Amino acid sequence: MSENVVLRLDDAAFTHPGGATVNGFDVAIRRGEAIALIGPNGAGKSTLLRGILGLVPLTHGRMAFGGGSDAGDAAEGADASNRAHASNRADASNRARDPKHADRSMLGFLPQSMEFDLDFPISLEQVVMQGRYRRLGLLRWPGRADRAAVRRALETVGLSDFAGKRFGQLSGGQRQRGLLARALASEPSLLLLDEPFNGLDQPNRDALVATLRRLKGDGVAVLVSTHDLELAQQVCDQVLLVNGRQLSYGPVAEVLTLGNVQRCFEGVEVEIDEHTLVVPGHEGH
Amino acid sequence: MFAAVRGGVVHVSLWDALFGAFALPFMGRALVVLLVLALVAGVVGVLVNLRGLEFVSDGLTHAVFPGLAVGLAVGGTAGLLPGAAVAALLGAVALTWLARAGVTSDAGVAVVLTAAFSVGVIVVSKSDDYAGALEELLFGRVLTIPPDEVLPLVLVAAVALVIVLVTVKQQVFRAFDAAGSRAAGDSGFRLDLALNVAVALVVVAGASTVGSLLVLAFLVVPGAVARLASARLWPLFPIAAVFAALASWIGLAVGFAASVGAGVDLPAGSTVVAVFVLGYAVVLGIRLLRDAGERAA
Repeated sequence: MSENVVLRLDDAAFTHPGGATVNGFDVAIRRGEAIALIGPNGAGKSTLLRGILGLVPLTHGRMAFGGGSDAGDAAEGADASNRAHASNRADASNRARDPKHADRSMLGFLPQSMEFDLDFPISLEQVVMQGRYRRLGLLRWPGRADRAAVRRALETVGLSDFAGKRFGQLSGGQRQRGLLARALASEPSLLLLDEPFNGLDQPNRDALVATLRRLKGDGVAVLVSTHDLELAQQVCDQVLLVNGRQLSYGPVAEVLTLGNVQRCFEGVEVEIDEHTLVVPGHEGH
Repeated sequence: MFAAVRGGVVHVSLWDALFGAFALPFMGRALVVLLVLALVAGVVGVLVNLRGLEFVSDGLTHAVFPGLAVGLAVGGTAGLLPGAAVAALLGAVALTWLARAGVTSDAGVAVVLTAAFSVGVIVVSKSDDYAGALEELLFGRVLTIPPDEVLPLVLVAAVALVIVLVTVKQQVFRAFDAAGSRAAGDSGFRLDLALNVAVALVVVAGASTVGSLLVLAFLVVPGAVARLASARLWPLFPIAAVFAALASWIGLAVGFAASVGAGVDLPAGSTVVAVFVLGYAVVLGIRLLRDAGERAA
């Protein structure tokens, strides 16, 4: 089982240089598994994702990619989510263990929808190729394998016909799918998505759900921060509730209860109906 | 060549101005130096344009000035290049560091720019030929470059070109999506430092030829022209370099024709920059007409 783990966090904490911190993460993400990361605004969802990317320092515990790249995490067969916190703290050294830089080439990242300079002279294809740059490094230029990976990524998100189009000329939903293709072009074994459904219309939303399902089928692990319970139920196997720290982690049906969610959103009125998590004040986000 | 002399003014044909003139050693040297500068500044200038670093470049041209002044005071004209190089590298590091420290880029640049310039003027004011030295530093001496200074200038420009060619993919990525570039493992500080050093080296190569004020035109105008001419990424670089090279050549030819053929003594560096700006105006005009045509269609 453990050789299928693509990311393992053992009592991990991530702290911004400014001081904001999220902690207590005991998570093991496996191939083909999707995890919904749910919590109120400011709960630290983005901090966790950025921490996994190495942009926010790991300040406690351990983080290991690919099952065994960090020799320090000898936790064969143990399910991190079941493990007792105390014993975990005991075996974790005080110095946090951050994996090697090179290990992160297995990560793909779709950032929260953001503003781009729409006049920037770059084609969709060239944006997607940026997903290959980490593998290429400074000196190498894209070759046949890279172009093939870009083609496949564009096919996966259904934008093959737009490859040569200037990125700024695409619609908002197409740009979002283009950035997903960029994340896929790196051929990640773990895909991190930060609020990918914000501002997407229904067709683009459906396309993204279909894409995520296909990726899971191909063995890609997915960690997606979202307010969208429909997505959590349609695509995800596990839910990770976060508010400053890990609150609960487990199968969707067990974790995603009204009580848990209300506790997570602390006083904010929350309802769960069949499709959505109704969180007042979060709609615009 | 230049056989027809009438009343002290030499008749200069179009052929003489564009080609024959460069058989003269000082004209040939000026052309070589400007073509190398044009090629490198064009390529670096595209990144300056994509990153919106025009004002930072301006800051570096000013930061180089005291280096030139101190170099001239210490080692004469042979001290210009080393003086400029030291000042430019210090300026590049200072500006990159200020940007990382979160000092708003414009405020940081403005402080470095004015401080450096005042130091430079104070140093120059101590020299015997204040006005002459100041003019040479600000507006260059493209026609009086000594032969033994050509190779160092070319080498400085070549280093800038290598820095940019090695990092260009990642520089474009950072220009397009700084957060995405960091998430992909690139260090913003190192990329910024590399680009600022490349800009600084172009400023060094340009400052002792077209002068520390006019080199800014080499960094800014070709990139802006390329953006007007193309909306595709990689063609921007050759377009900018070719534009800068053509404008340099035509500028030198115009200056030569005016001086020798018409007795109007045009400063060579300024004439070249005037041709740059004229070229920009022409390309802008064409672009506006094309856009208007597209809207009408």
